Amino acid sequence: MLHDGWSAQVNDYALACGWTPDCQILITGDVAGGLYAFEGSSGSLIWQHQEVHQGGLLALAVHPIRSLLATAGQDGVVHIWDCLQGKIVESLSPGKGWAEHLCWSNDGSLLAIAISRRVYVFTIEGKEEWRSTEQPSTVSSIRWSSTNELALSCYGRVLFVEPINNKITQQLEWPGSLVSMVLSPNGDIVACGSQDNSVHFWRRSTGKDAEMTGYPGKPSQLAFDQTGRFLATGGSETITVWNFQGDGPEGSLPGRLSIHPEPISSLSFANSGPLLASGARDGSIFVWYVDNNGDGDLVGGAFVGDLISTVSWRPDDAALAVVNSNGGVEVFNFKTRN
Amino acid sequence: MVDQKVPVTILTGYLGSGKTTLLNKILSEEHGKRIAVIENEYGEVGIDQGLVINADEEVFEMSNGCICCTVRGDLIRVLGNLMKRRDKFDYVLVETTGLADPGPVAQTFFMDDEIRDEFTLDGIVTLVDAAHIDQQLGRSNESSEQVAFADVLVLNKSDLVSDESLAKLETRLRGMNSIARVIRSEQANVSVESVLNLSAFDLDQILERRPTFLEPEYPFEWTGVFHLEPGCYQVSLEEGPDPTMSLVMIPNQETTDEDLIESAEKCVRYFATPAVSINPNDFITTDTHINLQLESKGEKYFLINIPEEQNIGLFTQHTAEEFNIKVKRVSEKLEDNPNSSKSIISSIKERTWVAEHEHDDEVGSIAFDYLGNVDPDKINTWLGKLLAEKGVDIFRTKGFISYAEESRRIVFQGVHMLFTAQPGQEWGNEPRRNQLVFIGRNLDEDQMRQEFEQCLT
Repeated sequence: MLHDGWSAQVNDYALACGWTPDCQILITGDVAGGLYAFEGSSGSLIWQHQEVHQGGLLALAVHPIRSLLATAGQDGVVHIWDCLQGKIVESLSPGKGWAEHLCWSNDGSLLAIAISRRVYVFTIEGKEEWRSTEQPSTVSSIRWSSTNELALSCYGRVLFVEPINNKITQQLEWPGSLVSMVLSPNGDIVACGSQDNSVHFWRRSTGKDAEMTGYPGKPSQLAFDQTGRFLATGGSETITVWNFQGDGPEGSLPGRLSIHPEPISSLSFANSGPLLASGARDGSIFVWYVDNNGDGDLVGGAFVGDLISTVSWRPDDAALAVVNSNGGVEVFNFKTRN
Repeated sequence: MVDQKVPVTILTGYLGSGKTTLLNKILSEEHGKRIAVIENEYGEVGIDQGLVINADEEVFEMSNGCICCTVRGDLIRVLGNLMKRRDKFDYVLVETTGLADPGPVAQTFFMDDEIRDEFTLDGIVTLVDAAHIDQQLGRSNESSEQVAFADVLVLNKSDLVSDESLAKLETRLRGMNSIARVIRSEQANVSVESVLNLSAFDLDQILERRPTFLEPEYPFEWTGVFHLEPGCYQVSLEEGPDPTMSLVMIPNQETTDEDLIESAEKCVRYFATPAVSINPNDFITTDTHINLQLESKGEKYFLINIPEEQNIGLFTQHTAEEFNIKVKRVSEKLEDNPNSSKSIISSIKERTWVAEHEHDDEVGSIAFDYLGNVDPDKINTWLGKLLAEKGVDIFRTKGFISYAEESRRIVFQGVHMLFTAQPGQEWGNEPRRNQLVFIGRNLDEDQMRQEFEQCLT
């Protein structure tokens, strides 16, 4: 169940939020470049900065192990921050254009940055380790498939590279516009939301691919659960859940979670258990317990007023942070009855 | 309050046609609006002010190969980010590269649901370099497609070519795209209102402004504007090729292109009314369709009385040249020779109008105008088939049709196969009619006309 925790307000459209690994701090960024650190349990403001990126903020990523944070913006700059102090520890300006995507490697030693048609990999100390060649179009998503292998998607393809060895490990092609990408936790399944209202996925081990069509909208919201069994997808008011266990999902019927009155705008699985949090454009949020078929039961819900831009589980899954387009920051305590 | 969608103008045209100059003019004018500019071309002239975002033109085709699904990925990305800000923009201008196909740009505003929710395509403005467009049209498809897609065609650098060439060029462009408004300019010097807030994709609104939106084939060939002090004037005509000539005189005529076009549209209506015949030495009255009787030999004079200082506009059936038309002041002192050069008044503005459309370009417009009603099932089947088969070659579709059972006009709007049809204004007491314009490449007018006639009830 979702229980009231705390709420706060930031100055502009809250773009993203993230918890520090020790659950102590919730970081929130707004599109105008406001950056805020809230005390995780009380919501009291620890520090804030405005206009940390000229032109606006585009991405933030909290470090998976240490109390560090990376932000990226329209100025093409990436800052690495100390989450406790609110101080910049490194500033990187690797290339020209909008710095749009950030991704820490699983062990936190490397930071991948997507700027326009290139991807850059830096060490946590701020040393440039690698840069990609120019891709055919602007990079739409970056994910680490393992500690030293990075996936990058753009129009027409997904590329896997080992930055340290400067080696391309795999190239998957599809003549369509891939707008988002997620990987299963073991890195075998690559799923991409496509501009033409479909989800395209590949199994890397077999090289087989499939296309899931029939979405009324663009399914840019994608989330794998931590076992790699379920892929939840947006693209309409209904959440479509594909089950990758056994022979599926090809030829199988997906689970369908319907209750949001407007299209899904954010999806996130909990860190353990088949719990899915979903937010929609109308400001409704729900938590689902996903069953074996990919269908689900509601275990909690709330309404926070405006388009939900990010839902983020606290690392211990005992709370859920939700930020919206009106600058609202809401933290709900989450408990399940056994 | 309902959230207003942000209007977007697409600015196309070859490199060197004056897009950046026009952008700068729009941005520098006092309009109190926050305008964001998305630039795909790194022009030689910098943009002065406003928020300018450089984006690489990224054309995203879809896996189904359907050209109407082709969108501009860079716009989706950039506009998506822009619209999150609380200090939103009031207006967006998208400047495309000279070689861009306007189709995907326009389609982006129909195809992407998130963009469609926030933005509305206001119009497509194509700048044309009057001195070079003739060659460009011959050489490249992009150039003719940019003309075909336009709601407004700005004939720039018109000072660098002769009036005659301009008139020819206008004929050619109108033949290709009969729904676009053509504006002549020097150094991209056009009024901001003529390129922004056109609501060109809101046909209902257009129809309210101009009940028949089909560009008229003007029943006059020439306009001269004369600045006249109070007094009496003669309009003289020498012997010409015809025994009569009709004209309309418009009082208080201003000289900008917009003003001339406005009056021209008024004159189209006057010319449609029965003419009042007058003989030499009779007075010409304003705002009246007048037919000058020219059978008698030699030079003829008609009279104009000007009570107070003003500009008058003469809209004549034939060009001034054919009759050597002159306006002369009639002096109160009889000893002054009315034919002395001193009394001849020079025009302060002249222009010729395109009387007929004839062209051999691959890209052209087909306009239907039929009274009566169409059968909803038949027209839907026909349009569905037409767009499925020829959608690639049909760039724009605009128009309205009448269903017997529907009290409102059904208003059409299309870019390639993307098509919307919705009820618009009430018919009221007006006669039911159907007007449709298709702009496309190598369209078979006879066949389309035949098939459309089959849909009439």
